[in-house]
Amino acid sequence: MSRVAIIGVGQTHHQRRRADVNVPGLVREAAQRALADAKLEMSDIDSVVVASGPVLFAAVNQPEKWVVDALGARGKPVVRITSGGGTGFAGALGGYYQVAGGQADRVLVVAYDKLSEGALQASISSLYDPFWGREFAVGIMGFSAAYWRARMDKLGHTEEAAARVVVKNLSNARMNPYAHVRKTVTVDDVLKSAPLAWPIKLLDVPPISDGAAAVVLTREDLAAQHTNTPAFIRGIAYCAEADNAPQRSMLMSEPLAHAARVVYRASGITNPRRQFDVVELQEPYSCFELSYYESLGLCPPGGAAELIASGATEMGGDIPVNPSGGCQGANPIGAAGLIRLVEAAMQVTGRAGEHQVPGARLAAAQTGGGWANLRGLAVVSAD
Amino acid sequence: MHLAPDTVPLDLPPLQSTIALPYRLTPGKATGTFLAELAARRIVGTRCLRCQRVEVPAQDVCSCGHAELEFVAVSTVGTLQSYTRMPDKTLGLIRLDGCDCDLLHRLHGDHEWAVGQRLQACWSDSPQAQALDLLGFEPAGQGAMAGLAPAAFEASREPLDSMATELKLHYQHAAGPYYGRLFDEMRTSGRIMGIRCSHCQSTLLPPRELCDVCYERTGTWADVADTGVLQAFSIIHLKFIGQRRDPPYVYAEVMLDGASTKIIHMLDGVDIEAAPARLKPGMRVKAVWKAERKGSLDDISHFELIDPI
Repeated sequence: MSRVAIIGVGQTHHQRRRADVNVPGLVREAAQRALADAKLEMSDIDSVVVASGPVLFAAVNQPEKWVVDALGARGKPVVRITSGGGTGFAGALGGYYQVAGGQADRVLVVAYDKLSEGALQASISSLYDPFWGREFAVGIMGFSAAYWRARMDKLGHTEEAAARVVVKNLSNARMNPYAHVRKTVTVDDVLKSAPLAWPIKLLDVPPISDGAAAVVLTREDLAAQHTNTPAFIRGIAYCAEADNAPQRSMLMSEPLAHAARVVYRASGITNPRRQFDVVELQEPYSCFELSYYESLGLCPPGGAAELIASGATEMGGDIPVNPSGGCQGANPIGAAGLIRLVEAAMQVTGRAGEHQVPGARLAAAQTGGGWANLRGLAVVSAD
Repeated sequence: MHLAPDTVPLDLPPLQSTIALPYRLTPGKATGTFLAELAARRIVGTRCLRCQRVEVPAQDVCSCGHAELEFVAVSTVGTLQSYTRMPDKTLGLIRLDGCDCDLLHRLHGDHEWAVGQRLQACWSDSPQAQALDLLGFEPAGQGAMAGLAPAAFEASREPLDSMATELKLHYQHAAGPYYGRLFDEMRTSGRIMGIRCSHCQSTLLPPRELCDVCYERTGTWADVADTGVLQAFSIIHLKFIGQRRDPPYVYAEVMLDGASTKIIHMLDGVDIEAAPARLKPGMRVKAVWKAERKGSLDDISHFELIDPI
């Protein structure tokens, strides 16, 4: 199986609501940017993957059919991949296998969400079992908050530690032209913000966003034809566990830890804290970033609060996490997982502009979705 | 399907459920212009500056893949290409004069229809900035202007940038034998039953055919107590559509005694102000049942702490 390279990336300038375009318009924008980055036309593309969040977010079923003309993809194979919050990443995984397996030389993966169209929390409740639990569900926020509270006791993931995540990510977002949240907050601001599903408070929650991202993937041996700065996917995995499996702990993210073991073995990562130059992870609420530090092996279980407090994960620290601002800066859910991969590729190719981690050549891109039961990881490198 | 020996399939009536969600859709510039101009009794299309194709309704991207387009006002008269009758409406494909594609729309009024027939637009008397401001198409009158070419377009009003709509989806979910027995026992006996994995012996609630961890078949049914441990909780202040109770309230994840999987529910009888400091995962809770049971998780009204704080 060949290695896969990212030869073009693009994303929209994410916003709270893009009133000027409909879904196809949004998708086209990101796709055109990625194609331009790869110096390709749609006619050069063999296959298209459209990744979008649950259809109830924007009320159009089978949206991949709606966007075909806007993409200029008539006559090409087009599939839709959807996987909750992990959608964008799962779309990339689908494209990855088309290339690595030899079915396509150049694949365009475009991921989007237009969350301003609908009622997000109510839509999310419809993802639950109608027989058992839907009537009590509080989106993803309710259970995420509940297990954060449990992790406070067992792992020391304090409200203050989570607040530091918010401060860091919003500060980083100010350097990211694609992020739309442009405010500076203090730990105190976060701690005093209105509880929504305590311990999750208003400032622990990412924005609701409209946005799209796209990548062009090709085989490693073809990459040099298209760019001087390819980013290589050294390893990629996406794992699931059942939402309601016996003894599901929610203390450690087992699917993420499993994906990390697989990917680290494939990529030669034995000391993630020391080897990675930068990490982009998808934190649907601030508490998850703490949990991911541990599940990714950046620190031992129970060490996340200390890690964030040390400053190591800030810009300028030895393991910057979310230089893009993460989900706190922009959160078009269906695209967020692909945005992490796009940002990782930008970092290792030295093209992240004002939020560049100097000298970065090896990055981790993490994603997650579902009821915290879908988790993925990719290792992206400059060589 | 494998059934445990002491299970009898039950034919419970399906669960009726409705997903009702409001939306503010963004039409984009072309559709927004098309929709807005209907109130002015104009049908707006686009001409592609690359391939010259005239498409209606107006498009943001031509089917040739390019986005250099100009808006045009097209003829409101055209020829019926095809049609289909349905119980409540008749739809037709209409080739408006000067256009390169067919417009799908209603055929309006009680008329005879025939392929090749000349039709003209008919309009709502009280336009509301929505698609049906154009009611549909009816047989063209004697005075209908034929063969009008698409004309240069000047917007008469702002394009719509938001369209309010609602999705209302009705479902009938088959319960199957596992939910079937669970709910039957809850309703008739106030008894909660899980099912054990034949391999790891975990008791799964709700009962199911396969264990999520072992992938082995489940076997024996087992009683699960209506007391258990509060595994996790959060205090809900957020309001959202479809919420069954006004906040604030406590969202609870409970591991019932005898079960290996959690259930989600609500916890009452706790002072919301005091809860962050005093409520803790690990506390023991018990179910409070409704007086009248219908066979659902909702038969449990809420949970309470066994030892109040």
